[in-house]
Amino acid sequence: MADSLLLEIGTEELPASFVVPALEELQRALEEKLAASHLTHGAVRPLGTPRRLAILVEAVVRRSPDLRRQVLGPPVKASFAPDGSATRAAEKFAQGHGRKVADVLRVQTPKGEYLAVDVEEQGKSAEELLPGLLSQVVHGLTFRKSMRWGDVEQSFARPVQWLVAMYGTSVLPFVFADVRSGRETRGHRFLAPAPIALPHASDHAAALERSHVVADVSVRRERLHRAVREAAARAGGVLREDEALLDEVTQLVELPCPVVGSFEERHLELPAEVLVQEMRSHQRYFSVVDGSGKLLPRFVAVSNTPVRDEALSRRGYEKVLGARLTDGRFFFDQDRKTPLAARVPELARVVWQGQLGSYGEKVERLRALAGWLGREAGLERLLPTVDRAALLAKADLVTGMVGEFPELQGVMGREYALDSGEAPEVALAIAEHYLPRGPADALPTGDAGALVGLADRLDTLAGLFALRKQPTASTDPFGLRRACLGVIRLVLGRGLRLHLGRALDEALRLLLPKLPKADLAAARAELLEFFRGRLRALWTDSARPDVVEAVLSAGFDDLRGAEARVQALGALVKTPGFLPLAEAVKRAVNIVEKQGSDIQGDGVKEALLELPAERALHAEALAAEGRVSAALAAEDVRGALDAAASLRGPVAAFFETVRVMADDKAVRENRVRLLRRVARVFACLADFGRIQVDAGGEP
Amino acid sequence: MAALLGGPPTDVYFQDLILTLQKHWAAQGCVLMQPYDIEVGAGTMAPATFLRALGPEPWNVAYVQPSRRPADGRFGENPNRLFQHHQFQVVLKPSPKNVQALYLDSLRAIAIDPLAHDIRFVEDDWESPTLGAWGLGWEVWCDGEEITQFTYFQQCGGFECRPVSAELTYGLERICKYLQGVDSVYDLEWVRGVRYRELFYANEVEMSTHAFRASDASLLFSLFDAHEKECQQLLRQDLPLPAYDQALKCSHVFNLLDARGAISVTERQGFIKRVRDNARSCAEGFLRARARLGYPLLATKWTVGEQPPALEGAPASDFWKTVSFDKKAEPPRRG
Repeated sequence: MADSLLLEIGTEELPASFVVPALEELQRALEEKLAASHLTHGAVRPLGTPRRLAILVEAVVRRSPDLRRQVLGPPVKASFAPDGSATRAAEKFAQGHGRKVADVLRVQTPKGEYLAVDVEEQGKSAEELLPGLLSQVVHGLTFRKSMRWGDVEQSFARPVQWLVAMYGTSVLPFVFADVRSGRETRGHRFLAPAPIALPHASDHAAALERSHVVADVSVRRERLHRAVREAAARAGGVLREDEALLDEVTQLVELPCPVVGSFEERHLELPAEVLVQEMRSHQRYFSVVDGSGKLLPRFVAVSNTPVRDEALSRRGYEKVLGARLTDGRFFFDQDRKTPLAARVPELARVVWQGQLGSYGEKVERLRALAGWLGREAGLERLLPTVDRAALLAKADLVTGMVGEFPELQGVMGREYALDSGEAPEVALAIAEHYLPRGPADALPTGDAGALVGLADRLDTLAGLFALRKQPTASTDPFGLRRACLGVIRLVLGRGLRLHLGRALDEALRLLLPKLPKADLAAARAELLEFFRGRLRALWTDSARPDVVEAVLSAGFDDLRGAEARVQALGALVKTPGFLPLAEAVKRAVNIVEKQGSDIQGDGVKEALLELPAERALHAEALAAEGRVSAALAAEDVRGALDAAASLRGPVAAFFETVRVMADDKAVRENRVRLLRRVARVFACLADFGRIQVDAGGEP
Repeated sequence: MAALLGGPPTDVYFQDLILTLQKHWAAQGCVLMQPYDIEVGAGTMAPATFLRALGPEPWNVAYVQPSRRPADGRFGENPNRLFQHHQFQVVLKPSPKNVQALYLDSLRAIAIDPLAHDIRFVEDDWESPTLGAWGLGWEVWCDGEEITQFTYFQQCGGFECRPVSAELTYGLERICKYLQGVDSVYDLEWVRGVRYRELFYANEVEMSTHAFRASDASLLFSLFDAHEKECQQLLRQDLPLPAYDQALKCSHVFNLLDARGAISVTERQGFIKRVRDNARSCAEGFLRARARLGYPLLATKWTVGEQPPALEGAPASDFWKTVSFDKKAEPPRRG
């Protein structure tokens, strides 16, 4: 009734980062196509190595089921002329299905009456359906970067060498990139070079295992991890765990074979980050530490081949690393001959961005902006540290070590700062001003680094927006999204007081000498819109999109306040009283918007308040205003929202008993002003008009 | 000699390495070219690679290319970095289906046995802003050391490569250091009893001194302008080959100026663009000239390795049948 389906695309060595995404796409596309062809199946197992993308689908049915379905034609209205004769549309539809118009059905749909026919579709055999289906799946695969090879028209991540496509014992014939599918797979490149003919699709796993290939990504990763841990233990230490390196090395080998090596003990004088960086980024070696986490002069390299004599390749690995570390030591020793502060003048010669000038100029702006931010945040006591750290933040860019290993920027700054006798908190701030490097990266542990980092990012954002170099949908060469998210995370995560608008104004002001002709007002508006987009993306992960939108519309100059409002409002919308509150506020806002253009101000004349409900609302609104601003001043957003929400009853009573559109003009205007007053109590918290009351409120 | 091979010690002198590689690739059907006689920074820049990677014609060559990189000069004091090193360059067009196997055979020929060493193909994207060229492939690692650049050319001089060439660039000094088990390039034995130091040390010192200290920057600037002008006027006369020589001279002069620190960071991009524009114009002129000649090498059926037939549509090289160079119209390019 059912049998296994195997697809394997044999390739030349794929980039390590391509394998997992390609397998995910392969699985998704294949499952979609199988579903569309009504071929039900069992478990789906993706398998991938540097040389193959494969997928095994168990228990694919032998035939798709016979199907009966209704096909809709044109509406009846358009199918017959006034004289009752069939129109061309009706004739064509009937003919298309081999019928006469008279034999066509009429069916009622929500959109009206339509012509229709019942179509019987015979099921097809899997062997008939699968070749075309697999061909589509393979042709449809995409990669971050594709290439062509030989005289072949098609492209792929790397050249395709073989295709295995089998259903049970049968080959499913199709062609991709001038390769015909067959039943021959390949084992390990060096240990099992001959093609291996598979009798049955399900023989794949065992054949590969025999041929020295561990095809399952998670199995290979697990084996690699265990083998590397054991190797580290053999080297007399513990593996320095490194998930990203483990992922990468998993896709660099078909058969993980760890080899332990060592380097000269004197190299341990280099900063640990330098040693780890050298080993992992350049050589893909794992580091080994002792029980206390201190680096040992050992490494674990992972070979793809169990070589005949381990000593031979070990010597090779050691030689390469030794040469690199010797180079590193050379730079390290050279760099330390110059105090870090003495390098600052050199930054004037390093271009940061064409029109925005040198790093030297950027550093001057950093000092000014970081100091300003520190005063804004009430962190005056940190100012000397902040200023020194800002001055030295970029000085390591002109050191030999960072020139050779750009990824060590900040780390080397810290090391050289300490070596030059700078205060430890300055050194820490230099290293930490680059944090967070990405969405998952840690934040600075100190406020000085956070302030310098904020200044750096705000200066970059302001400068490039003023130059109209904002990111597009597909490109962000200056990493402005990351910079923006960095600002947000720094402010929220470190709990810094900051008025975003004022900070952007200050950053733009400092850039003015460089940008005499830029339209700074436009840049400011676009920057705020950019921040709004980042905040929306960040917060809608955990909050309702309409709540986020409502809060953002009410303003986000105070990022921490806005975040608190999202949380508080998110909780409030779930309460039973929210629906009538939101409706009452919306109603008030609507009236104000409709009438408000002619009626200025919110000064309510008490003498004109005629009815008890309006007098009550006025009193309550005044009280709520006071409590909301007091709560906001105390950064108690929940309290502010509760205070505003207390107006629910009085507003409802008002609408029940008071006619806003009174005949007397003065009374009417006074009532609109009262509602405006009420609306303003809410407006500083959220734009209630954007909250979908039916979506989440539980009435 | 200290040999660190798995088997018995072998004498692999520098020139043996060259001879063995030449023999291997000659046996596959490659033409053994001689080094190009104009300064280049890499074997890729020699016309036997850069220009021949363009258009539909087959091309299979191997040659040693002394490669000058003024900024890499270290006055003979660094054991790894050189003003001039030697590349063994192989270009196979169209890239044969078994090009990796042919390459691995060449390693076996120079006594690097993949069962005795950790041989790996590690992703490496190659791009040359001065040539308007890019390709994808790998750096080939032998026990963690990069011994070869392996690239499938995708674009050259701004033109799509159809068919695609495979370019193998062996770093001869590195491989030989590995085979001879020495730490410094100057300790390599070129032939029994004659070391790299005796042959090239003085060259490194003088060339580095020239590049970093002794060159006349203002003369170099005027040379750059002059070669650029000559390149352009030769192109106007439909002489892309001599024009390309002038483009190469521009490139070398630029490298000298760069090493001298005579070009500011802001000017740098401008110079690179001028070099690239020359290279692109030469590429276009070369394609035009080959089309005018009727792509003579097509008739030779000159191929190396496995060349499977097109099973799905037309071969990629048929693209050139649709390209006309008769009119003033720009031939199609991408990017």
